[in-house]
Amino acid sequence: MNHMKQLTITSDAPGAPLLLLGNEAIARGAIEAGVTVLSSYPGTPSSEIGQAVIDAAKDLPHMYVEWSANEKLGFEVAFSASMTGVRTMTTMKHVGLNVAHDPVMTACNMGVKGGLVVVVADDPHMHSSQNEQDSRYVALQGYLPVFEPATGQEAKDMMADAFMFSEEWGQMVMFRPVTRLSHARSRVILGPIERPEREAVFDKDSTRWVCQPSNSRRHRVEMLTRHARIKEAADSFKYNRLDLRPGAKLGIIASGLGWAYLEDAVRWLGIADQVSILKLGMTVPIPDKLVLELLEATPEVLVVEDLEPIIENQVKVVAQNHKIAKTIHGKNVVPVNGELSTRRVMEALAQVLSVEMPVDFRSLDAVGDEAAPLLPLRPPALCSGCPHRASLYAEGQAARKYKREFKKEVAARCGDIGCYGLGFFAPLSSDDTQICMSASLGAAQGIAQATGGPTIAHIGDSTFFHSGLSSLANAVFNNANVTLLILDNAITAQTGFQEDPATGRTASGSPSPVIKPEDVARAMQVKFVEVVDPFEVDTTIDTIGRALRSEGPAVVVCRQACQVLKQRELKEEGKRFVPCEIDREACNDCRVCIKRLGCPAILIEAEGVVIDSGQCTGCMVCAAVCPKDAIKSVGSR
Amino acid sequence: MPTTAVEELNIILAGVGGQGVILMSDLLGNSALADGLNIQGSEVLGMAQRGGSVFSNIRLGDGAVGPLTPQGKCDILVAVEPSEALRYVKELAPSALVILNTTEVRPYTVATGESAYPAFDVILATVRKVTKQIIPLDATQIAKEAGNALAANTAMLGALFGSGRLPIKVETMKELIKSRVPPKAVEANLKAFDMGYAAVAESLNA
Repeated sequence: MNHMKQLTITSDAPGAPLLLLGNEAIARGAIEAGVTVLSSYPGTPSSEIGQAVIDAAKDLPHMYVEWSANEKLGFEVAFSASMTGVRTMTTMKHVGLNVAHDPVMTACNMGVKGGLVVVVADDPHMHSSQNEQDSRYVALQGYLPVFEPATGQEAKDMMADAFMFSEEWGQMVMFRPVTRLSHARSRVILGPIERPEREAVFDKDSTRWVCQPSNSRRHRVEMLTRHARIKEAADSFKYNRLDLRPGAKLGIIASGLGWAYLEDAVRWLGIADQVSILKLGMTVPIPDKLVLELLEATPEVLVVEDLEPIIENQVKVVAQNHKIAKTIHGKNVVPVNGELSTRRVMEALAQVLSVEMPVDFRSLDAVGDEAAPLLPLRPPALCSGCPHRASLYAEGQAARKYKREFKKEVAARCGDIGCYGLGFFAPLSSDDTQICMSASLGAAQGIAQATGGPTIAHIGDSTFFHSGLSSLANAVFNNANVTLLILDNAITAQTGFQEDPATGRTASGSPSPVIKPEDVARAMQVKFVEVVDPFEVDTTIDTIGRALRSEGPAVVVCRQACQVLKQRELKEEGKRFVPCEIDREACNDCRVCIKRLGCPAILIEAEGVVIDSGQCTGCMVCAAVCPKDAIKSVGSR
Repeated sequence: MPTTAVEELNIILAGVGGQGVILMSDLLGNSALADGLNIQGSEVLGMAQRGGSVFSNIRLGDGAVGPLTPQGKCDILVAVEPSEALRYVKELAPSALVILNTTEVRPYTVATGESAYPAFDVILATVRKVTKQIIPLDATQIAKEAGNALAANTAMLGALFGSGRLPIKVETMKELIKSRVPPKAVEANLKAFDMGYAAVAESLNA
């Protein structure tokens, strides 16, 4: 029992079992492979990988780790560090790959020196993402090998092997978990940790690392040759496994969690003797010979994979090249949208085999449909005392006043990616658009230029430094009639409090300069730049109002700490927030506080509106909106 | 208490942010690990801070492969918040056991009138359409009696063990509670665990 407690992700304890999150298993694999550099921008469902490696680096002095300003930087740092011969990695979510796409598409031509693994976590069903894209399309485009783990154990083992593979072939590996694997929790048997003794040396081979066309034409040929060799090697790749059953009625090719759900489905249906299964650990490129063997041995084939028909289309090419006219099922029976499940795989199987369902899914659905409307709504809400609530409320009030004064609406309020995205929901209803990281300012400019404006954008500090700097330069350059609120809490809160350029501290805890958004805005020649504390509600409304009336682009920095972090700080000092309370005499139960702010600390009980002192952070924003002046700080008693 | 070997046992833990569902999941998973069992499972992370519903599922035994309990195959549903049982009723196996905390956590949307909270009888009647094995208990009250209102999650864990269906030793779980819970809260948590255990064991014997 006690030894279990002491084991951590950095323990050099080969053979010991540990309960790990999928993302932690991936991090452990990298640590076992002796990864030396990690650079990453957080994004759900990938964030815990970078966090686990960063935490581990405290025990592993050979490592350099950083939270990068964005995924492109994260990739560039990892890729160029690999040029020095050490093992490196970067992690991101699928949409982060769009940001890193530019350097990835040239780096894939150049190849790598030290092993480089690019972890891209896809998010089928969009648990916490704006779209459902399949990152493997980028791998196909760049001729990158893709590894897809099916279990936590495999995630750890395969990740460690990915560095070796990358080095052996001189090409980066794309490692692709999906949300349910990243957030899976399972028993993982640890392996030995490799302690790298390499010295990082950059050899100045300008024919290799310079993408002048004269070099790049050669790089591309080399890259195609490399890919062809990897494809040949795929047949003996240890995570590709063919299990042929004599007389099988169906051949099935599956990868990642598709394989795990398939295993659950086959066992439950009791059809193990009816199917031959090719489990793919590498899905780009596929192993032609193994696929051919399955195609020849079975009357028809089904491909099970999350999201797009990446394997399926490659299998169809193999069949066509070998003039095999058998039916290859895939996205005709396995949905392309949403995430896979055991049920979905069973239903796909039922369309191509005669199987009997062990439970009546329709009657379960019927009960589920009956139960769903009975559930009280629990929409995700900004935390009690969140300064974003104050900022977005003030923004809405300022827009309202603008309309009253000028008889014309603020044309649009454009939102962005971060906790403040929850402002979209009532009662704040702050967002007319949300597109991608830092698109608030781009969208506000487009709408302002088309309509004459004004428009409002709001963005957090991490997202602003991620990709908003050039957006602000563009607004100044083209004199856009926009007001930008920068919601500066000096941390990347949504993904678990990662440091960013506004924090004043690196990922490993050493001090770094605080870059203040207002200094950036002034340097970029924005004429109207003011800083407010959003908890000073009236001042904030007034300042945003003046920004809206000013000529050209205006910046209002709303600066206040994340109250979750503030609470942790207070706790460490043995202190607590001083909450607010309702003056029962003064309160007329109008509920304006609830209707305007939707703070989770304000409740309705039998006696009327009450403030939950356990949740209240004492921000006093509700006191500012109360028309009866009925909300007071407990500290003022 | 002897433990039963199982080929596959699927457990869903459901609740809302602040109820300690993820801690329950961590305790359950690590106790299974300590007893040498295969564990697969997954969580929906991120909503705990924001008052949303929280879900974790743990799959024990060599028969479990994927990280998600297949629909129709959940053997035990532990609802630390009663209405949350409704969210997972469609996941239940026909013979499933449902352990329900009777203390409600009402979201602000009920206060504002945007939604309604279902009557406990309605919850029971809906769950009964899939399984008759339902054990309600007031884990929140048990926790208060045990001396720590926050220990409702350990009371529910005790209830889960009291079902006699887990292949994990009670001693393993208690040792883990001792090592994971803050020292001053250990006694109350162990007491809550025992009271939860007894409540279900008695109800099954009745």
